[in-house]
Order: sequence, then structure tokens, then C-alpha cells
Amino acid sequence: MRKVYLDAESVDFMIVPTQDLEFVFIQTEGKCTANIKVKPVADSKFKVKIYIYAEGTSEVDCVCTLDIPKEVSGVETDIQIRSWPFDRSKIKARPEMFIKNSNIIATHGNALGTLKSEDKYYLASRGVSDYKELIKQSLLNA
Amino acid sequence: MLKITNLSASIGNKEILKNVNIELEAGNCLLVTGQNGAGKSTLLHAIMGRPDINITGEISLAANKLHSMECHERARAGVFLAHQAPPTIDGVNTMTLLNEINKVHDMPYTRSELIAEASEKFLNMQLPNDWKKRAFNSGASGGERKKNELVQSQLFKKKTKLLLLDEPDSGLEQSSRQKIIELIEETCIAGGSVLLVTHDKELQAKYSNNKLDLSNA
Repeated sequence: MRKVYLDAESVDFMIVPTQDLEFVFIQTEGKCTANIKVKPVADSKFKVKIYIYAEGTSEVDCVCTLDIPKEVSGVETDIQIRSWPFDRSKIKARPEMFIKNSNIIATHGNALGTLKSEDKYYLASRGVSDYKELIKQSLLNA
Repeated sequence: MLKITNLSASIGNKEILKNVNIELEAGNCLLVTGQNGAGKSTLLHAIMGRPDINITGEISLAANKLHSMECHERARAGVFLAHQAPPTIDGVNTMTLLNEINKVHDMPYTRSELIAEASEKFLNMQLPNDWKKRAFNSGASGGERKKNELVQSQLFKKKTKLLLLDEPDSGLEQSSRQKIIELIEETCIAGGSVLLVTHDKELQAKYSNNKLDLSNA
């Protein structure tokens, strides 16, 4: 399942995942607050990927919470958040895990940053100079 | 025609190339040789316009004064570098990038033609089925990255006036050598020029009649 939010203000939901999940936030203005609560059932296997792009003076504050109570076991999951804050935008993003069962495999990652100089050079060597637009279009069209 | 006059190149305080002169007619391939550290790759990057390489001298391609152009402008003027170590670019989708390259080259393909051509070429290079949907070079081996470079070179060869091949064979199986030769031949027939850096003995032998040795540069 893939869901794209364009210049959203507030995103707040709870999901019981049955497949891999992908959420994309594209923020060009204003502030977006996102709370994604993931409550898996026993023995489920899934990945969550969250991509956040922000430009201008926009802001995104995103929390992805994995909530596994004591009676739910056998879950295998990975939560990854990747953020690109361009211009003077601000992104606060974090995965949170509340796991009360010991028979769980859960990993997470959180990376933030724009393009490295070698990436920019590579793209320039292909004639591309508008890196922001390229990433935005990539996230929209993936 | 590529004309390089008194090109010197340095990175930081280290001078790597000194007074290099090249004249290469359209439709020809120049083999660039020299020991490790001689500046073969630096020469190609200096022509491409890598920002951290400081140059003096002149680089002209037909009427374009490349030395006074930004890197992306050189690419749009028809310079294409097949990189030796292409990066993974997190967040940049492969097909979206190809679409953008197509746009900056005045759309030699319609969108559907580009998808069809790219898919066929990725398949022909035995790249994974999901290649065009991936983030650029995500999860790719060294050989797959080089194949990706060759596919892009093939896709946009009609818009290429100067093809810079930086060890295109490294990491590839022997059978891919023929694809490199075809790419060079097709680029030259279309009126482009090629600078080839390679350690492959057979490729070196094939193009040894027109050679620049940078060992003393």
C-alpha cells in the first residue's frame, strides 16, 4: 500500500498492516503534523517506509509508532524513514517502538539529508540541475 | 571536433595534469593511457566539469567553449560521461531520472518510447526486472552500475557529441566488451567523438592506433 500526502496539514491514523506500507509526504508550504500508529497482529511480516520531502519554509513533524502488546508475538517488521529537507524547511521525524512481547523482530532506521556533492555532480553530468524537482517527481512517480 | 589547449588540472594543491593538448576530429576514438595516478580519469572529469577540479587552458567542442560552461551545460551540449564509479542516489527513481535526461536533451523519445527503449536495454544488459522502478543504483553491484552507465550511453547516443568512457569494462563480464565496441562504433558513425580510458588489453589493442599517453603529463 502506498499513500502520498501533498501539502497536508494533519495526518493521524492507526493501521493494522497486512502488507508493506509506504507513505510519502511532500510539503511545499505550511506545516504538517503526522502521527502514524502501526498495530500489527500476531505473526505478521511487513515493512514500513516513510519518505518526507520539504522545501521553502515548510515544516513536517512525523512520528511513526509501532505498538505491540504482550499478547501479540511473531511479528517481523522494519520501519525506515528517509527525509529530504531543502531550502529553509524543517523536518522532525522519528520511529517509536513500544514492544511488550519478546518474540518480535523489529528494526528501524531514520536518515535525513539532501544530496551529496558526488550525487549532484553525477546528475549535473546528465544535464540535470533542478535536484529538488527530480526528487519530488521521483517520490510522486515511484 | 574536440580541441583541448594547454589544459592543466589540479585538485586542491595537487597538480594532476599539465599542458595537455588534444585535437580529435568528429567520428574518432582516442585511447587514453597511462599508469595509475597519471590523470586519465581526471582528464575526463575536467572535460565534464567536475566542480572540485580547477583547470587552466581551453576545452572546445565544436563551437562550444566547454571550459566556461557549468557541468550541466556541458552535458546539454552533448558531453556524456560514463562514470567509473557511479553513485547510488537515494530518492532518485531510475525511470524518473531517464525521463529528466530525455527532457534536457529536447525529448528524443516520447515518454512511452523511452520506457520501451529503456526496458529493452535493461533486459538486454541482464539487469533485474525491477531495475527501472528502483532508486538509482539501489542495491546494485559494481557490474550492474557499469551496465546502467552503458544503457544510458546507448539511450542518448544520438545526442552525444563527445562520449567519455571511464573504464567502461571494469566489473563487467567479457561478453559485455562487444557492447562497448558497438557503442563506440555507433557513436563515431553518428559523428560523435570518444575518449576511452580502459585497462582491458583487447580494447586497448583495438583502439591503439590513436592514443594519448598521460604518463608524463
